[in-house]
Amino acid sequence: MKIRHVLTTLNQMQADGIIDRFAIGGAVGATFYLEPVDTLDVDVFITFQSEPGSLLVSVSPIFDYLRGFGCQMEGEYIVIGGWPVQFLPPTSPLVEEALVEAVTRDVEEIGTRVFTAEHLAAIALQTGRAKDKARLLQFIEEAALDAERFQRIIVRHALVDHWQRFQRQFLDV
Amino acid sequence: MSYDLQRILESKRTLRQRLAARPVAEKLQMLDAMRERALAIRGSALSKVSESTVAREDPPNLGPSESHGE
Repeated sequence: MKIRHVLTTLNQMQADGIIDRFAIGGAVGATFYLEPVDTLDVDVFITFQSEPGSLLVSVSPIFDYLRGFGCQMEGEYIVIGGWPVQFLPPTSPLVEEALVEAVTRDVEEIGTRVFTAEHLAAIALQTGRAKDKARLLQFIEEAALDAERFQRIIVRHALVDHWQRFQRQFLDV
Repeated sequence: MSYDLQRILESKRTLRQRLAARPVAEKLQMLDAMRERALAIRGSALSKVSESTVAREDPPNLGPSESHGE
């Protein structure tokens, strides 16, 4: 079981033209900046292409390609290197921006794309589940954020009210 | 034995910071290890559940007249 295998597979998929732009988000993305957090899956955000003549986006080319490498489906996941991987479209302007502004990071000579810490924190603020709030607190406590950059993102995406509520609730502000 | 909660919390925070500062490759290996452990625990729990200690009820024999059109 190797998450490195997921990273190399993503690069191969991009080189073979199966996916275009991609970036890792979720708990695995956060692990690039924080301590490792147990997670069930790897969230990979990609720009989906709609099929010709259809407004619907399709993951079929991705699954067909990966099945050719022996990867198995598990519900909405496809298992790569023992890890359930979920390919996700950007579901909000914030996630679209996170995908565009993702950064390249090297993992033992394997290049990969990952959301910035500030975008991961803003997405956690926007999503707002208990585990997202816990992650946002980790980013703050570990001083992993560029405060000005984070502030610009939450202003741009109308999250200032969310942020003020979060501060009152958890940061005694 | 006494507990100094502040000291415990500070110690946990220090550990988290030390882990966060590790190289990414090492942190991803930790994710691999955590997932393997989680799967092992889940497998163990499932095999225990399947042992004969669990009482099972046979499903009712629903004839065509008792079904709900499913």
